[in-house]
Amino acid sequence: MSTAGGIIRALNSGVKHLAIRRFTLRYPEQKLKFVGDGFQFNPETGVGIAGLRGRHILYHEHCTGCQLCSVACEGIAEAIGMVKVNETWKQNKKAIMPQIDYGKCVFCGLCVDACPFYALYMTNDYELSSFTKSALIYTPAQLAIKPRISQDVEIKIDDRGAAHG
Amino acid sequence: MATQLPPGIRLETVDDRIMTLNVGPQHPGSGHMRLIIKVDGDYIVSCDPDPGYVHRGEEKMAEYRNYIQNIPHLERPVIHDSSNILYPYCLAVEELLGIEVPERAKYIRVIAAELNRCIYILYWLAIYGIFLGHSTMFMWPAGDRELFIDLLEAMSGARVTHAYLVPGGVRNDLPANFEERCLRQVDYLEKRLKEYLAVFYKNPILISRTEGTGILSRTDAIRLGTTGSVLRASGVNFDIRKKEPYDVYENLDFETVVMKEGDSYARSYVPYLEMFESCRIIRDAIRKMPKSGSVRTKLKPNPKGGNDEVYKRVESGRGALGYYIVSNNRPEPYRVKISVGSFRNLICMPYLLKGELLGNMPAVYWSLNYWPVEADR
Repeated sequence: MSTAGGIIRALNSGVKHLAIRRFTLRYPEQKLKFVGDGFQFNPETGVGIAGLRGRHILYHEHCTGCQLCSVACEGIAEAIGMVKVNETWKQNKKAIMPQIDYGKCVFCGLCVDACPFYALYMTNDYELSSFTKSALIYTPAQLAIKPRISQDVEIKIDDRGAAHG
Repeated sequence: MATQLPPGIRLETVDDRIMTLNVGPQHPGSGHMRLIIKVDGDYIVSCDPDPGYVHRGEEKMAEYRNYIQNIPHLERPVIHDSSNILYPYCLAVEELLGIEVPERAKYIRVIAAELNRCIYILYWLAIYGIFLGHSTMFMWPAGDRELFIDLLEAMSGARVTHAYLVPGGVRNDLPANFEERCLRQVDYLEKRLKEYLAVFYKNPILISRTEGTGILSRTDAIRLGTTGSVLRASGVNFDIRKKEPYDVYENLDFETVVMKEGDSYARSYVPYLEMFESCRIIRDAIRKMPKSGSVRTKLKPNPKGGNDEVYKRVESGRGALGYYIVSNNRPEPYRVKISVGSFRNLICMPYLLKGELLGNMPAVYWSLNYWPVEADR
């Protein structure tokens, strides 16, 4: 293969891409669709359900304040602390629930594996940026809110290449 | 007048012709490490790699956490090859605790490891491309990598640092329709990889820069203890997936890629060809995988390993990656030693760079498939 021929072939294979749709996801306008409603735990099989490991969701009606999520997080990120809540649940006599510091959380999801009452799951919400460190600490009341998700873009692969949306 | 020097410090007599260059640690071409290079004009006289700038004490940290809590931090050294760096840990802990892994979980782990190997190699290829001044080769692999990241995100729930492999299997079962989606994207990647040939590997500019530079002979490669793609590019047929098959690799159909040349070009071409083999493994594993069944053997809370020691190794994106774990009847391991391919491949750098042009330094350096963070642990 001659040098000039090789360079022309290299340029040619790059030039072909001018006609192909671009692959890049235009992020704030487009958001990628994920499988399921986040990482959850299936009590029947004893393993997790596939999904994005984003912000947690806490079901106050299931949480007993057993602190196992906090124990699981010890030595990993130490992001979960137990705080008093002004709610009365008959399964939660101590009235303590997890509070998660997303400045420390590494989103490993081992707290979801640890929760024996299926009170702590993860959701598809991953946009948690804030201007202050204190706003990253989510109280049990904030964790109970179901996130609003508008993620609908999927990868399309055809003969002309791959593209988003 | 000879002055008394403090102990441990000695003066070096240097020829006027020789100049010492510090490449790194903040230089983008060195990647978290320093290369002390002595040049005579444009030719390198000696090279002394100085790693250790990103040492995090992973091995010591592992002594204070139990076998499950160790998972998130042990995958940090190579975040885009995190399944492969956890793989030997899981195999070792399984042997230590005497856990049986379900058949389906073994196949899922192989698929995750091979997808991760492709992600690592594409990322490495992107860096290799940009350091040789080829910005198309930075953009293309970095974009195509996204497809496999999406696959692993669907499997595990995280783009990088998956924490997907655990002692006893995997964290969760595959999502619905994963097999079709995986096969479609693997086919697409193979098609794209073939386009890399004309633009990069058969490009005369790349060939002229890398062919014949930094030649590592077969005997030197064995003597210096290199591993992974560096060893295979020097003509040694050694792949742990073939020689000491773990999990289900003995049932799967793939070949070891070996090249004889031992130069920078061969060292950069072997990982590229290995991506095709990884695609073959993924297809074969999806075909042979049991369609349903358990994927995780439940561990007892705070499992204790006996008075025992175990060594397990796998083939990662950078070569042999082994874990040596000693336990002493406690929930935490007594000692964890991680043996990584990056550090083994670093040792041949002074030999390869001697007599090379300074401009060829990035071509030789990044062809070693070296990841500084992993080498420092």
